[in-house]
Amino acid sequence: MQAVILAAGEGKRVRPLTRSRPKAMIPVANRPIIEYVIDALVKNGIRDIIVVVGYRKEQVTRFLNQLDIPIEVVVQTKQLGTAHALMCAESKIKGDFLLLPGDNYIDPHSIARIKDLPNAMLVKEHPSPSNFGVVLLNEGFVTNIVEKPEHSPSFMVSTGIYSLNMEIFSYIQGNDLTDAISLMIEDGHRVRGIPADDWQDAIFAWDLLKMNRRLLSTLSPTREGVASRQTVIRGSVRIGKGTTIGPNTVITGPVVIGNDCTIGPNCCILPDTSIGSRVTLEPFSFIGNSLIMDDTSVGSHSRITDTVIGERCSLADHTSVSSATGLMEIEETAIRSEFGAIFGDSVKSGPFARFKNSLVGNNVTIEGSSSICTRCIPDDSMVI
Amino acid sequence: MCGIVGYVGRKEAAPIIVEGLKKLEYRGYDSFGVATLGNGIELAKHRGRISENASSALILKGKIGIGHTRWATHGAPNDINAHPHTDCSGTIAVVHNGIIENYALLRRELVARGHTLCSETDTEVIVHLIEEHYTGNTNLLAAVQAVLPRLEGSYALLVISAKEDCMIAARNASPLVIGIGDGETFAASDMTPILQYTERAIFLEEGDVASIRREKLEIFNQGSRVTRPIELIDWSLEDVKKGGFPHYMLKEIYEQPQAFYNTVRAVNPDTVSRIIGCNPENVTIVACGSSYHAGLVFKYLLEGACGIPARLEFASEFRYFPPPVEGLVIGITQSGETADTLTAIRQAKSHNCRTLAITNVLGSTISRVADMTLFMRAGPEMSVAATKSFIAQLAVMMQIANITCDQKYNDSLLRAHQVIEEVLLMDISEAVTLCTNAQSVFFVGRGPFYPVALEGALKMKEISYIHAEGYAAGELKHGPFALLSSETPVIALCMPGETYAVMISNIKEMKARGAPVIAIGCEGDREVLDIADIFIGLPGSSVFVQVLTCLVILQLLAYHTAVALGRDVDKPRNLAKSVTVE
Repeated sequence: MQAVILAAGEGKRVRPLTRSRPKAMIPVANRPIIEYVIDALVKNGIRDIIVVVGYRKEQVTRFLNQLDIPIEVVVQTKQLGTAHALMCAESKIKGDFLLLPGDNYIDPHSIARIKDLPNAMLVKEHPSPSNFGVVLLNEGFVTNIVEKPEHSPSFMVSTGIYSLNMEIFSYIQGNDLTDAISLMIEDGHRVRGIPADDWQDAIFAWDLLKMNRRLLSTLSPTREGVASRQTVIRGSVRIGKGTTIGPNTVITGPVVIGNDCTIGPNCCILPDTSIGSRVTLEPFSFIGNSLIMDDTSVGSHSRITDTVIGERCSLADHTSVSSATGLMEIEETAIRSEFGAIFGDSVKSGPFARFKNSLVGNNVTIEGSSSICTRCIPDDSMVI
Repeated sequence: MCGIVGYVGRKEAAPIIVEGLKKLEYRGYDSFGVATLGNGIELAKHRGRISENASSALILKGKIGIGHTRWATHGAPNDINAHPHTDCSGTIAVVHNGIIENYALLRRELVARGHTLCSETDTEVIVHLIEEHYTGNTNLLAAVQAVLPRLEGSYALLVISAKEDCMIAARNASPLVIGIGDGETFAASDMTPILQYTERAIFLEEGDVASIRREKLEIFNQGSRVTRPIELIDWSLEDVKKGGFPHYMLKEIYEQPQAFYNTVRAVNPDTVSRIIGCNPENVTIVACGSSYHAGLVFKYLLEGACGIPARLEFASEFRYFPPPVEGLVIGITQSGETADTLTAIRQAKSHNCRTLAITNVLGSTISRVADMTLFMRAGPEMSVAATKSFIAQLAVMMQIANITCDQKYNDSLLRAHQVIEEVLLMDISEAVTLCTNAQSVFFVGRGPFYPVALEGALKMKEISYIHAEGYAAGELKHGPFALLSSETPVIALCMPGETYAVMISNIKEMKARGAPVIAIGCEGDREVLDIADIFIGLPGSSVFVQVLTCLVILQLLAYHTAVALGRDVDKPRNLAKSVTVE
């Protein structure tokens, strides 16, 4: 059995985190989302995997090359839609295949349920269905799919994970795959809707925190770095090679820390926190429920919660980020949100900066003592 | 410069050899040939690339075989000059990598004794000499051992005979690796063809002769039996695959942040202080091609940041200077097999200089010749145009400079990979369009950016075949200015620092001659932005990192230009990956 993973789209709603990588490559619990998808396939014995790449394809391909199993890469030069992406892989597909989005988490059990059924899709209830294709079911079979309706008739949505065969290609007319599936159903093919166990999609950047929490809970603790004897470590904590943790640091799992980090002394890391590789946490910092990517440094006496920090950021001392609710404008729609801050890549902020419910773009420079509350700061700007 | 592969085992030899030759194509690809021990010696050899024309070789029968992919040195690339070569009776076949220097004399002798030599190659004399010694009661091993003292020059040889189930391998000054598999044995110019079958390898020493049979492997040196250690090679085959990238070169460009970081981390301060610490007053660097440019960057940094005078020579010219009486001689070569650099290092050693090799290949010849070796951690590089090995060479040398001047630059070196990653995200399509339509392109820079300009020009001519020259910006006025016109784009490296102010006036002068200028500067630099036709703004950083970022952007420029022109990026015409002849 083959599997086709779609990882060509940028994931615009997750900006600013997609400047240097597509959404599928955003690290959650320190591994890119697509790696969880590939893992789930391999656990089901599916090793013939094709990945469709497009946006920032070199970064994706470079990552796929490091994996143990060989993966075939297909390029979609223009990101026109899911059906178009699938067509790019058509010549490599030999028979029955699974189709999966590379930027959603899926558990291996759900894949096991669907993989031997011809024409089936995984569905799942979601509290905000209007962001997805809403699925109407009748006795386990799909009767209709409505793509992103304004008023949703049901809470059951399509996960974008399908078990299909070559027939689908004769129904592809536009660039969208749901249209093709609808045509197939109209034409009398029966498509099963199978409920998924655990499926996670981060629609907006702050949803990554929930996905992070969920994926951290599956990790087993390991300790490869060096922790001072005065460090207190509780719960499931994973510490990578070359990382040093200074005395009097308290870490409460689930927490994952990558390689070659320098933490503490006297730091406090609370549950549901992922810290990438080569990250520096200066003394007396406090971090909880956050996702920090590679090569970032956080100054001493900072307090950071409910926050996503991109790569190569440098936050000076006494940075304070606290959670709040507010309306964020994403793709010209106001979205209700609750989080501390989202920082893109290479953000530099000065001492005593305060953030509340704010999206900070890539390459932004923020002067010391600024206070930023419920705002979007565009890429490459400077806050004085 | 050629690649050779041999196989002794229980499987059909031809497909294994053909696959192996494809992997060695980077060493040369103008003709190829395969000989197997089936019904007598079966032979297929052709002009052209094996990846295009392997079918005739694949049908050969037999479980012992040898193969060769050629980069012509003696005699034009054609079917007759292609290896393997056979003796008069067609029962002995030989493949050879290297050059036999006294071949003209040997050839005259052989012809006088009645042999028919049909090719123009130096290799053919070897097989006829073996034929003369391979009579009645001597075996093939003895015959080869008897011939070797007559050969002057460099060789890695594989020999098979229709009368014996064995393969003889011999090496002198050309690389040869033996791979130990499960009931099968491989021999090749390097590990790449062997990796998919085994990771256990023996690197033959100078003058070794190996007799390879299905049941046993014996190695002799100077007539007596010797044992050589089996080494485990940790390169995985994944490392040498193209992955999903359209070209090896692009893959390797994108691997540079990792290669740089790994290499910087791998160079140990204690080792470096030991090497440099004893006599830092006299450093000589010998290298060829891109490695020479890396050496030039090193010279600027070592003299500028550490105040240690450094002398830099082309390895091929080193022998014409009186050798340094004392001091440290550093040889830089990616493959560790570059013949000129090897000769220079040997020469330095014979004058009692301490020698240091900087190379990417574990177990390569230079690491055996030099007193000390620093390995770069670039992983195997397949593209002919050096990219990640170059950046890894810089990593080694920047780290040496950093350690020598009290680790002032630790922080910027450990963060350099992030800045390189930033550069990989940049869009340079405007500059690519300008270069694609040009007949010739000039690269100019000052100080440490002068070698970067040289390397940028080298990359451009290597793969895009556009005439490109690198100059020190000040030298441009002394002649090359006459060539400037609206048809000749100039790429100017104008980074903040001591070279900045003069570069600005140089750019203005070039603009005044009508040349379109692509300026590479620091992002947000209004002044350069205003005077240049196309401005590429790189992230700001220390001078060490500026050198790296400029270099990467020039690599990308050369690559995209070559792709736009439809060139064969990974195998540019007339070039081979490493030059193992002088």
